[in-house]
Amino acid sequence: MPELKLPDIDYAALLPMLILFGAACVGVLIEGFVPRSVRNMVQLVLSLAAMVAALVFVIRRAGEVTAENAATIGGAIMIDNMGLFMEGALLVLGLVSLLLFGERTLERGGAFVPHAAVTVGSERDREQAVDSGATEVYPLALFSLGGMLMFVTANDLLTMFVALEVFSLPLYLMCALARRKRLLSQESALKYFLLGAYASAFFLFGVAMIYGFAKGVDFRAIHEAVRGSETSPTLLLIGLALVAIGLLFKIAAAPFHVWTPDVYQGAPTPVTAFMAACTKAAAFGALLRVLYVGFDGAKWHFTPVLGAVAVLTMLVGAVLAVTQTDLKRLLAYSSVANAGYLMVGLLGGNKDGLSSTLFYLVAYGFTVIAAFALVSLVRDADGEATHLSRWAGLGRRSPLFAGIFTFLLLAFAGIPLTSGFMAKFGVFGAAIAGDQTWLVIFGVLTSIVLAFPYLRVVVMMWLSEPGETTPSVSIPGVLTSAVLGIGTVATLLLGVLPGPLLELADQASSFIR
Amino acid sequence: MSGVETGEAVAFFLLAPLSVIGALGMVMARNAVHSALWLVLTMLSLGVFYIVQAGPFIGMVQIIVYTGAIMMLFLFVLMLVGRDASDSVIETLRGQRVVAIVLGVGLAGLLGLGTYRATQGLAVTGLDEANKAGNVQGLARLIFTNYVFAFEVTSALLITAAVGAMILAHVERRRGERVGQAAKMRERFLPGNYPGPKAGPGVYATSTSVATPAKLPDGSPAPRSISPILPTRELTAAEKANKHTEGR
Amino acid sequence: MNPTLADFGKDVWWIVLIKIVAVFVFLVVMTLFTIWYERRVVARMQVRPGPNRHGPFGLLQSLADGLKLAFKEDIMPLKADRVVFFLAPVISTVCAFTAFAIMPFGPFVSIFGQRTPLQLTDIPVAVLLVLATSGLGIYGIVLSGWASGSTYPLLGGLRSSAQMISYEVAMGLSIVAVFMSAGTMSTSEIVTKQADSNWYAILLLPSFVIYAISAVGETNRAPFDLPEAESELVGGFHTEYSSLKFALFFLAEYINMVTVSGLAVTLFLGGWRMPFLPDWLNQGWWGALWFTIKVLILLFMFVWLRGTLPRLRYDQFMKFGWKVLIPANLVWILVLAGVKTVNAHAPQQRWYWIGGAFALVLLAAIFWPSKKDSPKPTLEQEVAARPAGSFPVPPLDLQVPVSPRAQRITAEREVV
Repeated sequence: MPELKLPDIDYAALLPMLILFGAACVGVLIEGFVPRSVRNMVQLVLSLAAMVAALVFVIRRAGEVTAENAATIGGAIMIDNMGLFMEGALLVLGLVSLLLFGERTLERGGAFVPHAAVTVGSERDREQAVDSGATEVYPLALFSLGGMLMFVTANDLLTMFVALEVFSLPLYLMCALARRKRLLSQESALKYFLLGAYASAFFLFGVAMIYGFAKGVDFRAIHEAVRGSETSPTLLLIGLALVAIGLLFKIAAAPFHVWTPDVYQGAPTPVTAFMAACTKAAAFGALLRVLYVGFDGAKWHFTPVLGAVAVLTMLVGAVLAVTQTDLKRLLAYSSVANAGYLMVGLLGGNKDGLSSTLFYLVAYGFTVIAAFALVSLVRDADGEATHLSRWAGLGRRSPLFAGIFTFLLLAFAGIPLTSGFMAKFGVFGAAIAGDQTWLVIFGVLTSIVLAFPYLRVVVMMWLSEPGETTPSVSIPGVLTSAVLGIGTVATLLLGVLPGPLLELADQASSFIR
Repeated sequence: MSGVETGEAVAFFLLAPLSVIGALGMVMARNAVHSALWLVLTMLSLGVFYIVQAGPFIGMVQIIVYTGAIMMLFLFVLMLVGRDASDSVIETLRGQRVVAIVLGVGLAGLLGLGTYRATQGLAVTGLDEANKAGNVQGLARLIFTNYVFAFEVTSALLITAAVGAMILAHVERRRGERVGQAAKMRERFLPGNYPGPKAGPGVYATSTSVATPAKLPDGSPAPRSISPILPTRELTAAEKANKHTEGR
Repeated sequence: MNPTLADFGKDVWWIVLIKIVAVFVFLVVMTLFTIWYERRVVARMQVRPGPNRHGPFGLLQSLADGLKLAFKEDIMPLKADRVVFFLAPVISTVCAFTAFAIMPFGPFVSIFGQRTPLQLTDIPVAVLLVLATSGLGIYGIVLSGWASGSTYPLLGGLRSSAQMISYEVAMGLSIVAVFMSAGTMSTSEIVTKQADSNWYAILLLPSFVIYAISAVGETNRAPFDLPEAESELVGGFHTEYSSLKFALFFLAEYINMVTVSGLAVTLFLGGWRMPFLPDWLNQGWWGALWFTIKVLILLFMFVWLRGTLPRLRYDQFMKFGWKVLIPANLVWILVLAGVKTVNAHAPQQRWYWIGGAFALVLLAAIFWPSKKDSPKPTLEQEVAARPAGSFPVPPLDLQVPVSPRAQRITAEREVV
């Protein structure tokens, strides 16, 4: 038997992931050994510390990436500039949304249910209304984030699949943990889980097909097989289509978007914010790597199909957003539409497309987290009041928060001086440069359609009289205020001074194969 | 090893229909336990396929893990649910089933045909090389070299699953809610509680009904002898009368 | 000399057929013998003769019982699920027989001029085959419980599925240490490896102990026979079974005992080889004799346990499996892996490592916070602490007066 040669493992490069996974394991132990009264504080501090530490190591690594030291563990993980940028972006967005997890002043015990196993509506359920919420969400969020970091740096499809599962499973769980409207929350978790399992199965099936085609699952082998292969590309096309389905599900592109509104509505709002910002970013990071590194040779095959998907996504998101009456669902459809815009940038197929997509992901992430933070503020006796009609006249009641929300909606709509404008400008520009003008036409058209529901909310908030049922806007605690502040300032800054981030994204927009 | 050996072909053509039948049976069976059993058949066939295709380790693991453990847990739950519990067959979306069948068959046909076309005349390579040092050793080599990180991170998946099971299924008892054997005994002998067994009803003493109370030594009916869930029943005079004993 | 994996799968078809029939006959005879053996041994332990009427020493008793069982009326309960009810004992029995295919009885022998190993077959993952078949065998029990359409069997089936899955985990983990030491999963090669080093029961004692315990749990034998606990579940999963179907369960249970014993012999006790014997006694057909003797000794252990130990409580039993056996196993595997790594990479510093680990464990043991027991009240204090009006407790030194009737009888006897 030949001697086993163990691959070199660059622990310094893997440190961010290892820190997150390690902290998550410690978090699980904390659940077992730390008294319930202080658990929330301990968990929150631990998770934040872990994320900051991971971020520090990501930043320290920046600028040291070379073609030699990027790949580690025999090429299973590729921490190139692009991967590093995505890691940093995910950590920052995750950090911000984790602050929402810790918020306990808006509602007694936080946004999560203390014991999810208690039957909804039972005596015990009413008793637990005053209990402190479940703190398992922190380790779950850390596991999820660790999986996302692995997802965007995975350099072969098998590692990518494991990462996909690692970051999805905690999300399914967290969706079921809302304190209010628990049945809705559990339903959303079940839907997400079932559909997610199907999507994973598609992904895995595709990996098997691609293995058959390329005789390997790492991107270099796939790249070479796509370029040099004389055999029929049928296996490649089947495999690519199935893998793409798995990834498009995660980014909520039509027609694989059907879970989005239900899950966004049912999940606890902090989790929704986390999903909207981080899952989307991670899935796009992986999609970019798959398409640009592995399958760039098959560009002529996938561009028209994915272009059609992008158009469909934009149309579905924009048109259905118009008909929504629930704010969380509206934001969900807006997130679907945004997935379409991101795909436009991605299909640009050039360096600009890459950097503009990265910029869009970060800008959108900040805005959407802030928007969901604000949604969690407007509440009545039954929890969050998310129905649109309830928001009527909110501008009179609390002009500050209504103003912030208006600003965020304008950013979604892509009005100049907000990050949304710069982001859309970037992706459309890249698509035109990449000869995908038809996508841009659809993008602009749907943007106009999409502006309508946003403006309707704005009009409702400012121009209606506050009625009897208009809920009050709670005074946010420190954590939510911080999230709101960071999100809003980032949205403004990226709109006014996009230069530094654009430059960063530009530097990051290169893969190492 | 480019061709298919006879034994392999025989095994395939025996098991392939079985596994398809199992899959169809799983979808169509009305009874949930039967459904699970059909799935077991499919998984077993798949395990044997792996073994036949020179992957004995993965085949055995398929049988041990999927049929031996996972499906067993499924059965466990189904048995607790009850044997007569069957799904409601009313469609909430009209025509959903037809559309699902058409699309499903279409997708299966597309993938099957595509794979068939693509693998026509494809030479099988690399199997001997992969199994050169033994199937198990070859797998171990891959798991502990290039895929070691993915392998280790799978533990995160398992921890998540365990935590999830605890969150979604385990209700933590509050302090004082759990009563131990000693405490129960102590409670049983507290004042106001009769520690002995309750008297049985007076069935057969004067009537054949369990609603007949037993009689205390002084002739009065013992209320504790009747189960509280029984409806109260008017007793006839004969049943009410004291039974004559030898002494009188 | 010793069979390796490459020596298998080359037999002529009639040799294979002979081997199959031989294994089948071996198992059936072993079952009949074990039933008699068990009854005799338990009887001896309880100071009574046991079956001694049919044949010499009552040896034919179990054969007679088996025949009688087969001719009894076959009852199908009304609420039973007919197909599954029939399938369950079949699954049990088939799985029990299949597992024995990879048991090595001995080295090469000559059968009608053909040189062949004394083993039906061997595959690279032979031990996993045993685990797989025992995993499938659980279906027989679970399904029989469910298909009977009756409550006690259902509860028995549920218990057994939980129990056997739990103990299969412990069992599988205890075998891992053997794989790590032998470097192979094929049974014949594991036997060979033990001849080179030592019995794994000695080298891997913790694994052997855990295997032995979980084997008893896996075969549903006393003291772990909770699926058929008579006092709680009537007869457990096979309450509704009768005639040949019941006989099949009986058969499967005893074959499973033989199988786990055979596996224990193969994995831990040197297989068909007997130590301290001249070479010519460890060759050819002698191996089958040594193998059978070892299996019989292990079967005696099963009977001994049954004759000695009371049945465990269900929750304690599950706790024991999950909270003691499995963690202990994992720690042991970790330790073993550590020792192997140190041995392979740094043999000179071995003692530093071992000493360091030992010191660490010692320190942990010394500084482990000990839980202070609260002072236990005496019985008198407890009695005094009871609220007024509690149920009266007789004094501890109660002198029970002799009953008048007994007095009378004694007096009468003395008169006579």
